[in-house]
Amino acid sequence: MAQQNMWEMTLSRLDVIMSMLSLTEGMSKYLREPRKTIQVAIPVKMDNGKIEIFKGCRVQHNTNRGPAKGGIRYHQDVSLDEVKALAMLMTWKCAVVGIPFGGAKGGVIVDPYKISLSELEAITRRFIYEIIEDIGPEKDIPAPDVGTNAQVMAWIMDTYSMGKGYSVPGVVTGKPIALGGSQGREDATSRGAVYTLLSSLKVLSIDKMPLDAVVQGFGNVGSNCAKILFDIGHRIVAVSDVSGAIKNEKGINPYDVLSYMSKGNTLSSYPQAEQIDPKDLFGTRCDVLIPAALENQVTKDNAAQIKAKIVAEGANGPLTPEADVILNGNNVFIIPDILCNAGGVTVSYFEWVQGNLAYFWGKREVNLKLRDIMEKAFHDVYKCCIEKKVDMRTAASLIAVGRVAEAVTLRGIYP
Amino acid sequence: MLKKIECFIQPFKLDEVKDALIESGVEGITVSDVRGFGKQRGFIKGEVPNKEVKFLPKVKLEIVVDEEIIDDVTKTIVRLAQTGEFGSGKIFILPVEDAIRIRTQESGINAIV
Repeated sequence: MAQQNMWEMTLSRLDVIMSMLSLTEGMSKYLREPRKTIQVAIPVKMDNGKIEIFKGCRVQHNTNRGPAKGGIRYHQDVSLDEVKALAMLMTWKCAVVGIPFGGAKGGVIVDPYKISLSELEAITRRFIYEIIEDIGPEKDIPAPDVGTNAQVMAWIMDTYSMGKGYSVPGVVTGKPIALGGSQGREDATSRGAVYTLLSSLKVLSIDKMPLDAVVQGFGNVGSNCAKILFDIGHRIVAVSDVSGAIKNEKGINPYDVLSYMSKGNTLSSYPQAEQIDPKDLFGTRCDVLIPAALENQVTKDNAAQIKAKIVAEGANGPLTPEADVILNGNNVFIIPDILCNAGGVTVSYFEWVQGNLAYFWGKREVNLKLRDIMEKAFHDVYKCCIEKKVDMRTAASLIAVGRVAEAVTLRGIYP
Repeated sequence: MLKKIECFIQPFKLDEVKDALIESGVEGITVSDVRGFGKQRGFIKGEVPNKEVKFLPKVKLEIVVDEEIIDDVTKTIVRLAQTGEFGSGKIFILPVEDAIRIRTQESGINAIV
C-alpha cells in the first residue's frame, strides 16, 4: 500500500510541475508512462537443492536524453509501483545535473541478508540473463542500490560479458576498482552534496567559519559528508545512526568515530561526545543539517524544531511534504535530493565514460569534474528558483522535466 | 572552469584598464612592474633596430576568473590597452586546475568570488 502511494505521490507531484511548465496533454501522458517495464520470474536452485522462484523487474522510464540509468534493489518489500516511481526519479535526477542518461530502476523481491552468497549470485546471474537483451552500455546501465553492492555489480558485468562473448565493463557502474570502477565513486554522493552545500553558502552570503553541521545517518553518505566537511575545517556538532545520537558542541572528529566503531562499538557509546535522544538531533543548534539516512525522517512533528539555515538532502526523500512546507515557511534553504545527492550518479556517468573509453582517470580529476557538474547544476536550479520565485525543490523539478520534455519534442514521436 | 589571464600592458594604461576590469566582474588583480621585449626586441617606432635587445618597462596583470566572463575581460583589455603602436602588450590565457581561499578553505570558483 505504501509503495502504491509512492507511485501515485510521484505522479501527482509530476502533474503539478507539468502544469507549471504548461506542457501539452500529449506530452504529460508521455512523461507519466515508463517506456519499458520488464517483469521476470527468476528460478534458482537453492543450497538445499530445492527450486525457488523470485520475482524481478526492470523499469526504463525514459531514454530520450540517452541510455537509461539506475540501480537494482534487492529487498523483500520491492514492488513494481515503487520501482516505477524510482525509475522516474532517476530520469529527473540525470536531467537536473545534465548528464546524458534517462532513468531506470530494477528490483528483486528478496531479503539479501537471509540467503547465502551463492544463492545471491545465482539470483543475480539469472536475473541479468533474463533481461540481457534490454540492458547494455548503450541501452540501460544498472548500478548498486539498497541490498546490492560492488560484488553484485561484478557478477552482472560477468554475466552480461559471458552472454556477449567479450568483456563489457560499461554495462554496469559501481563496480570494484579492479574491474573498471571509478576512483572517487565511494564518496561521490557525499562530495556532490557538500559541493552543492558550499555553493548555497555563497548565494546566501553565509561567510561563517567554521560552520556547525549536524549529520543524520552515519552510513556511506552521512559519514563521508562528515569527513569531507571536517577536512575543510567545519565542525560536526552532532551525528546519529540506528544505535542513537551523539553531540559535542566543540566538534566531533568523524575519522575517530569511524575507527571507534570499527572496533565493534556502537556510535552512541562514543566517549568524546554526549549521548542524546535521537529525537533531539534535529533540534541541535547548527548552521547546516544533512539528513543522510532514510526517507520521511523530517515530519510535521519535528520540522519546526530544526534550527539549521540550510538542509542538504543527502538521502532520498528525507522530508515529508508537510515538513517541506514548514521548513520553507521558516525560511530554511533546502537543497533538494534530486540535486543534492546526484553526485553518485554523476560519478557513475564518469565510470561509464571511462569504461567505454577504456581510459581511467585519477581521483583528483574525477573530483574536479564532479565539482564542475554539481556547481553548474546548483546554479541552474538557483537561477530558476529566483526567476520563477519558487522553492529549490520545485525549481529542480522544473528544470529536469523541462529538459526531458525538450528532448522528447526535439526527437519527435517515432515513426 | 577557472582561467588565469596574464597580460602585459603599457604602464600608463593601467588605471583605465583596472577600473574597467572591476566593472566587468573581475574579483582580484595582481600587478607587477616588469621589463620585457617582444617581436620588436625592444625597439620602438622611429628607432633603427640593430642586433641589440632592449628590455622595456611594462606592467603585468594576473587575474583569475571564471571562463564565463573570460571573453568580456579580454575584450576590455584589448580595447583599453591599445596604443596604436608596437608594444601595446600581450594577453595569455591559462587553464587553472583549482584555487583555494586560505581563510575558509573554499575551493574552485568559490575561492574567487
